Amino acid sequence: MIEIFLVFLIFGLLGALLLLMNKFLGPSKSSPTKESPFECGSPYLQEGINPFPIKFYLVAFLFLLFDIEVVFFFPWALIFKDMGLTALIVMFAYIFVLVLGFIYAWKKGVFEWE
Amino acid sequence: MNSLFALLPLVIIVIASLLVLLLEVFLKKENKNYLGFISLFFLIVCAILYFRFWNEEFSYFKGSLVLDKLSLFFFFIFAVAVSFVILLSMKYISLQDANHGEFYALLLFALSGMMIMVSSSSLVIIFLGLEVLSISSYALAGLKRKDKKSSEAAIKYFLLGSFASGFFVYGLALLYGASHSTDISGILDYFRSSPELSLMATIGLGLVIIGFGFKIAVVPFHMWTPDVYEGAPTPITAFFSIGPKAVGFAVLLRIFLYYWRITPESQAIFWLLWIISVLTMLVGNLIALRQTNLKRILAYSSIAHAGYLMVAILARDGSSLLFYLAAYLFMNLGAFAAVIALSKKGKEYLELDDYAGVGFKYPWIGATFTIFLLSLAGFPPTAGFLAKFYVFSAAVREGLVPLVIIGVLASLISVFYYLRIVVYMYMREPSREIAIHLENPALFLVIFLCLYGVLQLGIFPGNILLIIREAINALPF
Amino acid sequence: MIPGSYFFILSVILFILGVIAFFVKRDLITQFLSIEVMLNAGNLAFIAFARALNSLHGQVIVFFIITVAAAEAAVGLAIILLIFRQKKTIKSEDMNLMKG
Repeated sequence: MIEIFLVFLIFGLLGALLLLMNKFLGPSKSSPTKESPFECGSPYLQEGINPFPIKFYLVAFLFLLFDIEVVFFFPWALIFKDMGLTALIVMFAYIFVLVLGFIYAWKKGVFEWE
Repeated sequence: MNSLFALLPLVIIVIASLLVLLLEVFLKKENKNYLGFISLFFLIVCAILYFRFWNEEFSYFKGSLVLDKLSLFFFFIFAVAVSFVILLSMKYISLQDANHGEFYALLLFALSGMMIMVSSSSLVIIFLGLEVLSISSYALAGLKRKDKKSSEAAIKYFLLGSFASGFFVYGLALLYGASHSTDISGILDYFRSSPELSLMATIGLGLVIIGFGFKIAVVPFHMWTPDVYEGAPTPITAFFSIGPKAVGFAVLLRIFLYYWRITPESQAIFWLLWIISVLTMLVGNLIALRQTNLKRILAYSSIAHAGYLMVAILARDGSSLLFYLAAYLFMNLGAFAAVIALSKKGKEYLELDDYAGVGFKYPWIGATFTIFLLSLAGFPPTAGFLAKFYVFSAAVREGLVPLVIIGVLASLISVFYYLRIVVYMYMREPSREIAIHLENPALFLVIFLCLYGVLQLGIFPGNILLIIREAINALPF
Repeated sequence: MIPGSYFFILSVILFILGVIAFFVKRDLITQFLSIEVMLNAGNLAFIAFARALNSLHGQVIVFFIITVAAAEAAVGLAIILLIFRQKKTIKSEDMNLMKG
């Protein structure tokens, strides 16, 4: 019980600290962009359906894949304690393959914007 | 024996494909040809491993991955097919503007999927292997990215392939619900304990067969085949015509050699397969008669051959099935190699009219192509004749005489369109000028090896029959 | 408490709808969507059986099917994109370069 409490305490404090550091250390200038409503980077008033660059599709496909791969982490986490080292090795092999795919995508220039 | 060795061939192939994939992005454009040699090297290493493993039996993952003689035999077929396809494509992909290093990586991925499928005894793992094979095949079909036909082939293959996967998954779910298991042996136990099949199990098995029917291209699940075969790059077409087909029949063999031993053939499933087999033999051969594109003719011929292979499944005869697949591997890849030989930069000669006079202009290509076509038609003394002979005599032994009569009639029909190509090559005046790119030693090596295979299997089949019998007898019943 | 058979019946209906939609629809993306419906009907059936049989096996299989569906989606959508760039259409009747 005490461990869980400690975890919450430490990470709660860490989060608060980081937020406060932001407040004190960062410059706080106001700009029109900052004042506008939050809309994930796109203008907040526009036509309903806009074409967007084909690069986005590529990233979307990759997101789809890497997002789904995480599904295997959940059952793994559940039995991790019982299997120990084997589980660790298997998961590292799995992640290794994923990283190879990531390197391939990177080298192919998927993440280059213009 | 429970051992990690069972994974070794698979791991080698997967590592090879990942390596090739990574090298593709790090190598310079002009060095990409080395990727083919690297893939070949790994395939040869694997083939040596199969030899070493022949007399042992490994399994892993609580028996859901088994390396028995049957899977080793199929590994061999796949390794030979993939290495021939790699040899065929080395020149082809640079001549026909498909020179992406991913070509080899995807081929090796497809190979690993097939290896998973044949060596597994759990239908879920078989499904995963099937998807590894299929997804790489969709990409391979569309590899000529600037060619509209190639993209169209890819989309057709993709849509119908994943449609079939949907059937397979649902059938699997029904089998799981009925038998409480997804292992072939577990399902087998269920069939053994209940002589009257429940409706759910029958439908489940039917859906699984439909799913496989798409992959092995049997009528009425064949509509994608000619278009995909025509549009895909030709070496890939050669791969499609043997790889997925062989692996589909490997799984059907595992299911039905088990299943058939237990229940008598008075089942709905038996007649389903019977009708599929008859339709496949007749429709495949009849439609092939009116094709003028070589790739489409070979596509329909491959559909028809799936029908003959189905006869072997119905006759419960594993050894004739394996022999047929081995013979089909050599004669079909040889025929495709000859088609690939007739091409130059940016242009392939695929219409029948292009073949007029080829027999005299390029005597070697003409002569070997003729032998492969005669073998496909089933003339002695080639491998095709013996293969058909074994399949049909096994069927007669099982009392399937009507099926055999239809099969023999169908192969008589097939003689017409195979010989039509030969007639064009030797008895027609060339109507248009063709010039082909002849500096392609890898391709001629493949033609030579296929020729050797066809004649060896046709004249001295003893050795391979011995191996096949050993592989079949090692199956647990 | 909902009886387990309801889930199974729902999955049968979903599967049949998916098959019908595949044949009725004339748009590559919608056809692909109907395939996803079929796969998810399979998933639902697996989960229903796993619950009825009280076994984890069926649920684990669902994970694999989800992953496979995602991989299929990535490759399939990429191919559809390729088609769209070449032909400026994704109607399935426009896929007519090859006949015979």
